[in-house]
Amino acid sequence: MSQVEKKAGLLRRTSSSKKPLKEKVVLMYDEIFAKEDPAKHNSRFWDELFLMKVNLEYLESKLETVDGEEVQRIQDNINSLFHHCVQALGEEHQIKVVNALQTLCALFRGVHQKNKSASGFDIINMLMGFDKAEQRMKDLMERLDSLLCGDGSESLKSLCLKLLLCLVTVTDNISQNTILEYVMINSIFEAILQILSDVSSRGQHGYDAVVLLALLVNYRKYESVNPYIVKLSIVDDEPTLDGMGMVVHQALTEYNRQYKDKEEENQGGFFSTLTSMVGSMFIADADEKLSVQTNEAILLALYEAVHLNRNFITVLAQSHPEMDIAATPMTPTPTTPTTPLGTTPPSLDMMNNPELPLDPNLLTSNLLITFLKYASIVMQDTKDEHRLNSARLCLIILTCIAEDQYADAFLHDDNMNFRVNLHKMPMRHRKKAVDKNIPSRPLVCAVLDLMVEFIVTHMMKDFPMDLYLRCVQIIHKLLCYQKKCRIRLHYTWRELWSALINLLKFLLSNETTLLAKHNIFHLALLVVNLFNMFITYGDTFLPTSNSYDELYYEIVRMHQVFDNLYCMVLRVSTNTGQWKEAASKVTHALVNVRAIINHFNPKIESYAAVNHISQLSEEQVLEVVRSNYDTLTLKLQDGLDQFERYSEQPKEAAFFKELVRSISLNVRKNVSLNTLSQDVLLKEFSTIS
Amino acid sequence: MEDTELEVSPTPSDQNSPSPSSSPSLSLPSTPSSSCAPPPAATPPLGVISEGVAELSLFIDAEVAQRACQEVLQKVKLQQVEGDVPSQHSGAKPVPNSPPVALTASGKPMKIREQEDDPEGLAPGSVKSARRRQRHNPSKQSWLLRLFESKLFDVSMAISYLHNSKEPGVQAYIGNRLFSFPHEEVDFYLPQLLNMYIHMDEDVGDAIKPYVVHRCRQSISFSLMCAWLLGAYSSDMHISTQRHSRGTKLRKLILSDELKPAGSRAHRDPLTFSLIPFCPTSSPATGPGPLGGDHGLSPSKRTHQRSKSDATVSISLSSNLKRTASNPKVESSQDEVTVRIIISTPVRLAPQREFIKSLMGIGKRLATLPTKEQKTQRLISELSLLNHKLPARVWLPTAAFDHHVVRVPHTQAVVLNSKDKAPYLIYVEVLECDNFETSSVPIRIPENRIRSTRSVENLPDCGMTAEQRAGSFSMVPNYDNDDEAWSVDDIGELQVELPEVHTNSCDNISQFSVDSITSLESKDPVFIAAGDIRRRLSEQLAQAPTTFKRDPEDPSAVALKEPWEEKVRRIREGSPYGHLPNWRLLSVIVKCGDDLRQELLAFQVLQQLKSIWEQERVPLWIKPYKILVLSSDSGMIEPVVNAVSLHQVKKQSQLSLLDYLLQEHGAPTTEAFLSAQRNFVQSCAGYSLICYLLQVKDRHNGNILLDAEGHIIHIDFGFILSSSPKNLGFETSAFKLTTEFVDVMGGPEGDMFNYYKMLMLQGLIAARKHMDRVLQIVEIMQQGSQLPCFHGSSTMRGLKERFHMSLTEEQLQLLIDQLVDGSMRSLTTKLYDGFQYLTNGIM
Repeated sequence: MSQVEKKAGLLRRTSSSKKPLKEKVVLMYDEIFAKEDPAKHNSRFWDELFLMKVNLEYLESKLETVDGEEVQRIQDNINSLFHHCVQALGEEHQIKVVNALQTLCALFRGVHQKNKSASGFDIINMLMGFDKAEQRMKDLMERLDSLLCGDGSESLKSLCLKLLLCLVTVTDNISQNTILEYVMINSIFEAILQILSDVSSRGQHGYDAVVLLALLVNYRKYESVNPYIVKLSIVDDEPTLDGMGMVVHQALTEYNRQYKDKEEENQGGFFSTLTSMVGSMFIADADEKLSVQTNEAILLALYEAVHLNRNFITVLAQSHPEMDIAATPMTPTPTTPTTPLGTTPPSLDMMNNPELPLDPNLLTSNLLITFLKYASIVMQDTKDEHRLNSARLCLIILTCIAEDQYADAFLHDDNMNFRVNLHKMPMRHRKKAVDKNIPSRPLVCAVLDLMVEFIVTHMMKDFPMDLYLRCVQIIHKLLCYQKKCRIRLHYTWRELWSALINLLKFLLSNETTLLAKHNIFHLALLVVNLFNMFITYGDTFLPTSNSYDELYYEIVRMHQVFDNLYCMVLRVSTNTGQWKEAASKVTHALVNVRAIINHFNPKIESYAAVNHISQLSEEQVLEVVRSNYDTLTLKLQDGLDQFERYSEQPKEAAFFKELVRSISLNVRKNVSLNTLSQDVLLKEFSTIS
Repeated sequence: MEDTELEVSPTPSDQNSPSPSSSPSLSLPSTPSSSCAPPPAATPPLGVISEGVAELSLFIDAEVAQRACQEVLQKVKLQQVEGDVPSQHSGAKPVPNSPPVALTASGKPMKIREQEDDPEGLAPGSVKSARRRQRHNPSKQSWLLRLFESKLFDVSMAISYLHNSKEPGVQAYIGNRLFSFPHEEVDFYLPQLLNMYIHMDEDVGDAIKPYVVHRCRQSISFSLMCAWLLGAYSSDMHISTQRHSRGTKLRKLILSDELKPAGSRAHRDPLTFSLIPFCPTSSPATGPGPLGGDHGLSPSKRTHQRSKSDATVSISLSSNLKRTASNPKVESSQDEVTVRIIISTPVRLAPQREFIKSLMGIGKRLATLPTKEQKTQRLISELSLLNHKLPARVWLPTAAFDHHVVRVPHTQAVVLNSKDKAPYLIYVEVLECDNFETSSVPIRIPENRIRSTRSVENLPDCGMTAEQRAGSFSMVPNYDNDDEAWSVDDIGELQVELPEVHTNSCDNISQFSVDSITSLESKDPVFIAAGDIRRRLSEQLAQAPTTFKRDPEDPSAVALKEPWEEKVRRIREGSPYGHLPNWRLLSVIVKCGDDLRQELLAFQVLQQLKSIWEQERVPLWIKPYKILVLSSDSGMIEPVVNAVSLHQVKKQSQLSLLDYLLQEHGAPTTEAFLSAQRNFVQSCAGYSLICYLLQVKDRHNGNILLDAEGHIIHIDFGFILSSSPKNLGFETSAFKLTTEFVDVMGGPEGDMFNYYKMLMLQGLIAARKHMDRVLQIVEIMQQGSQLPCFHGSSTMRGLKERFHMSLTEEQLQLLIDQLVDGSMRSLTTKLYDGFQYLTNGIM
């Protein structure tokens, strides 16, 4: 047997090298590209074709070489090839199904590559013929659906998904892919859900299914009603949503793990921190970028789920033990036998397979924690375009999360404490934090840490204004929730305050360069209003009365920054110019901060004078602050606890269009790589049948 | 003096020879067991009664049972007249020559068994002698009959006679009488009944079995309770005998789910039970527990009930269908499964058993984790997985009402302090229902649905009645019609969100600062004083009820300190089921790896003493907490709400007990403090007596709770009666009475301290009066038990002596004084606390 195989292999190799000996299948392709109906002389032509191993390259290149006039001639044959492909999908013989799937792949790709500029309708006409297109696509989608949902081979399902991914990504701009209109009409949403809800199929095809879903949701998102959006937004089946979460969780975990491995690798030597910093920027970038890029699709899926589906929020907090990629997924299958009493027997399968591995070293984790860790890695370096996009998407997702009541509830849940090891960029002036000593805290602390970390580490010439705005808004939304629900979070707010003040300082010192590109007053206003939140509503959410004193201490200590800011905005607002209005808003917002500074500074100075101390200690300043509250009057500002809710349309539309384009390109590249390895698959079937 | 005492509480079980002096009139009122004398000892009535038993196994119904009882009594009375002659016969030549009619199948082997099985080696002669005594004392039997018929004959007496009587007739009669008692009353003695079933001779078993089987058919929860207890109390037997024991067999029968209301079968041939008058069930020839004939013999009455439950099943099925309509493909496969199983035999007990099993599984897995923090995290994640399976037809057996468990708020669960095991406390959300067996299981509401309900929840519901509230909740949109609610337009809106709408609708109205509301209304600048903000902050922080600091090493302290009402409110707010009017919160401690049988015994004794004290109107306060024994090494405990341990109090507050009470309740003269002090004294007196009577040991501060009203509550009855920890000889004092306790009572000279002693005296007198009701609970459980509390031979004698029957009230008072003084001065209490501090870090 093996000898025969070897021989066949040898034969094939030689045949491909020597031109004159053409494969049978190639000959048959040639027949299709001839004028005549190939079945005319050989009635079993199509049957035979699908028994042949597909030669993707040849078929694709053949399609590409066909030029305008020829198209007209052979259109009938191509239509009929497409038709027979679809029919072959219903065959019992699995080899035929595999070949038909691959042929379809080649058809879609070849036709599109040739006709990049052609309108979608021409392509449809060429592939299926206008009059029959609807019926053909309906058949195709139905066949694919039944293949995906059936009990058939897993490899076959995988191939189906590959075909769909291939179809979805044939154009750079997904919205220009007119064939997808038929995919909208003939929904395969349910099939995707089924794959996600089942443990075993999720393990094998979950990634593809999630990516496919994310892409389909983005088809003509803003122009028309996309049924996938509608359907995704109403899914409430927990196993399915959980499944989706698990796929995202696994992909992000895998990335985090790889990153950590690499980091540890780099940390071997003496000047490790230095080299790793340099190294990660220049050397190791090549393959790492790739995975950030690949994860764009996963992040997009996470975003769509969080943004569209109210029920998905719960999945974020669903606890799982931290796992390696190989670990079996553990969400219960929906096919759990139900008792006659009409309910699922509790935890039947939970007991049957000890799902949670019993390793005491495993930390419990959930999707949100993994996501935060991932975000902390991605946000470290935003110079590269893909990383910038990922960081932006991470912040958008966090914005959606911060706006969600339920998400806020578990972020602030005092009983759900976790240790979250965020990755911090190694910097000259600070040591790398020791991972082990992070206390177990509510998750919102990790979110705040991440925001503070971002604020501190991205004050650079090429200022990521957009990310900063999102960052400050996320903090604001969290504060609004805490104020509303009177949650007194035990967080070291001081770190946040000093980060924000430093940010203001940076804006001031780089005023001219930044103003050329950005409206820095908007950001300054948001930052000052965060302080106003603390000043006016601190009573509702600060953890101790001391922390309110510390707030004043911090403001008074850094009064120079606020003074300078006031001077600057006053200057700009008195001049006429495009920033006049924006700057004057900041002057108004500063009223309380200035009142505090003007009230306490003289008091502190006189205290120093009276007691003959040149340098007051913190405790002494706090004492002065405490004893002089009563003579200070503040102005209540409107709308401090209001925020603009996130909306994708129109602001973010351009970003998402570009993102989807980038994802499409990436997926297309990877799918084409993968389809070649389907030989293995073919062998599997040939031995079975 | 002597006379009255005798009348009030004669010591029965000890006096094997009935004193001729005790006149019949004395034995009537409150003495359950004046002797072990069986009343209708004669063989003919015995035959009649055994026939009654046979009947009963067919007509298992309370009314029928009652009738049977009366019939039996009638016959017994009739034969009483001529009873002397045959009894003389049987007494003279016991086994072989007795009249064939009299010695029915059940009579003969009984005696043989007595020779073989009786643990105390009771010779047949003693039976004879007992009968001979009866002959001398014929009037006694009629009095006994009158007692059995009288209104005063309660479950306690029935259990006592069942235990003490050696006469199958009496046992069988009482077995029948069990049917006529209210279920709840018998349920209290279920451990006793089942322990007798397991460890006593066959006649007792045969007497008890029909009742147990009957109740098992009626109720799933009773079935499971029996199965668990049978398993637990059989575990002390030797492994080889255990496998073939009656208890194990009955347990298997129950768990095999054969004992369902077999309506359809009885319906098919309704003549079965009337045509076959006697089936081998009660025949001893088939050995103990011949269960083959049992199923299929239940009355046809059940059919109706059965069909009803089928109907509800279909209802809940359809609701299941509706629930996840969004995913039709997944759904259809699920439904097929459901339908298929419905056609096959329903599994009544499976959901609950699985539920319990998974709770125990969690406990086992937690025990392998090294730190509290890891345990807590694991617990939370395990429970969140468990949540996926809820709601289901499962319930907490410790609850007092019927319900279905709908959700476990997993983030609220805490791991309790224990060295090597991992007991944990969970809160469980349930929906109250009429009958958990027949009511349909609630529909699952996904977790995040609270957001929409919350706005309704937040409406001021002051003065709303339950109906009004229910009405208002009906306004909550029906979530099942998701597809309608989320039409395409909604999605459009979701994408193009108008900022104004949302900013207005969300958080702009500050809930807490009135100033901000006014600022919205007027355009004039509003000024606030910074001092006010600062003051508000410190006031609100001070106002907040004293909470304990979160300590990863003691996660339970915070959870237990939070007032129960507040916790309920908080969890209700966060629950998707919280808006339902029948929503309730329960809590339970899951213990895995601990034997709770002693706890159960202690619970029963406490409960008994409590009702005795209530009956005698002695204001002693104790809090028996419910115990569920699941096996000999696992179980559940009903937590005492609003209570933290003295250890936690001291560690967290760093105050003395008195100062802590002052901090919690107010100055010494305030009403709040005084009532807390009174509660403290009443509970202290109660538990002092309990500790003395039961010899409760291991009384460190971790095992004494203090509740929000000032009561102390003792927990952990792991060392009672004959057992004490490590036998180090600590804790020789009668009970724990530290100077701190005395300080709370206002010092050793104070009025409250005298009140304390007086309460103890009254309590002891009352307990002494009903001593039998207490003794009987313990004595029956001693049968066949290897529990350390029964170690040694003097357990019962010691317990009985501690009631001091022989002392006068004056002497008793002296005794109390001595006990109190001794405990106060006891060095060992202090020593023991120091020992605990050193070894376990308990303050």
